[in-house]
Amino acid sequence: MDLFSELFGMFDDFDNMFTVSTIPKETKKCPVCGYGWSDFNRTGKFGCSECYKTFRDGAGRVLRQVHSASEHSGKIPSKSGAEVKAKRRLEELRKSLKDAVAREDYESAAKLHAEIKEIEGSGIK
Amino acid sequence: MIWYNDLNDGIILSTRIRLARNIEKTPFPSILKKEEKEKVRGVLSDSILKSNSTLSKDFELFKLDEMTAVEKSAMAEEHLISPQMIKDNEGAVLVNKDKTMSIMLMEEDHIRLQIIKGGYCLDEAFDLADKVDNVMEESLTYAFDEKFGYLTACPTNVGTGMRASVMMHLGALVMTGNITRVLQSFSGMGIAVRGLYGEGTDAEGALYQISNSVTLGLSETEIIEKLKTVVERISEMEKQARKMLMKNREDDLKDKLMRSYGILKYAVKITSKEAKTMLSEVMLAQNMGIIDSDGKMTPLELIIKTSPSVISGDGGLSPEERDKKRAELIRNNL
Repeated sequence: MDLFSELFGMFDDFDNMFTVSTIPKETKKCPVCGYGWSDFNRTGKFGCSECYKTFRDGAGRVLRQVHSASEHSGKIPSKSGAEVKAKRRLEELRKSLKDAVAREDYESAAKLHAEIKEIEGSGIK
Repeated sequence: MIWYNDLNDGIILSTRIRLARNIEKTPFPSILKKEEKEKVRGVLSDSILKSNSTLSKDFELFKLDEMTAVEKSAMAEEHLISPQMIKDNEGAVLVNKDKTMSIMLMEEDHIRLQIIKGGYCLDEAFDLADKVDNVMEESLTYAFDEKFGYLTACPTNVGTGMRASVMMHLGALVMTGNITRVLQSFSGMGIAVRGLYGEGTDAEGALYQISNSVTLGLSETEIIEKLKTVVERISEMEKQARKMLMKNREDDLKDKLMRSYGILKYAVKITSKEAKTMLSEVMLAQNMGIIDSDGKMTPLELIIKTSPSVISGDGGLSPEERDKKRAELIRNNL
């Protein structure tokens, strides 16, 4: 769902985003909401979720300061997080495969290997 | 049952879980214009009201700009909307029939989903919040980042977007002057302490909200477990303080609490501050078995219903008139 594609259509193309990312930080503006880093400094809040991409390094620094951590380890939404879920699953399967091989349980290893191949086949790495 | 009528053990009074969610590619509410907010609000409320889930029939939508001042202040009093929502007046809220769930739309984030219940039930409240969150996500695409998690307007909510909180009545720790020391001992543990009405409010009436301040780097379950440890330790300290007061200063304690009860029972006018302090003492007395709990309302309900904004209603009462109305309400219901 993209309610604001019309409003912010002018920023839709990726070329534009790359151009934006090469200009100095002070003048960089978020392509969705138009916020700059100075707006964040002034309000302590971001204008939209895209700001976290636009000002990735700065946002990461702020999050580390606030939470003493910068990696999410909680719930993953099923839609926007489908790929992340698949990646986490893949990591688990690879670990299980290693364990299965270590204890010479080749039947389980074969099954795990097939499951890994299937996920990898869908483009997840 | 509404949260303030079930006082549990008299120390851990109520439980709240709040999830902050936003939808992708849409600016956060603070920079949306009124018409844009209405449009987004509609999409968000449809995710519940037009869902296939049984939830669709349990919720009702209230638009702030169509509500009276009394209705709004009543909802804020019940913690179903935030004071910020009243100020802004452009949001809406979905509330379920028994008022244990409220979904604020266009507050600081697009969605603030909240479960609020009497008693101590963090796991149960989180399970419920999680289920409602899943229903909404069926028709919405949330703003989510692989590394940072759920994205929110304020970085303090990024990650799980979850604030788990427990309201505690710490009358004996306040009375013995130990409260500051106790609460300070938990600083640096990612735990925040606030007053009854949340951020920036005083802990009047010895009522404290204990919540997690860290939302990133820990899972929802880890956050809840950590909060439980702190809450249970504070609760234990309050119990100890109550025992000590009874053991060492029984007469002084009873005299103080009974005097407060006497004033509340007979006063003709009373200020908000005095009422809060004394109602809190009566709450402590009832819980310690010094006074019977036989009033029409619990002291906590009276604390909430006699706050200046609630007692004033739409009537625009003067402070003097409010003090009289407050005293009368307490006399008749304590």
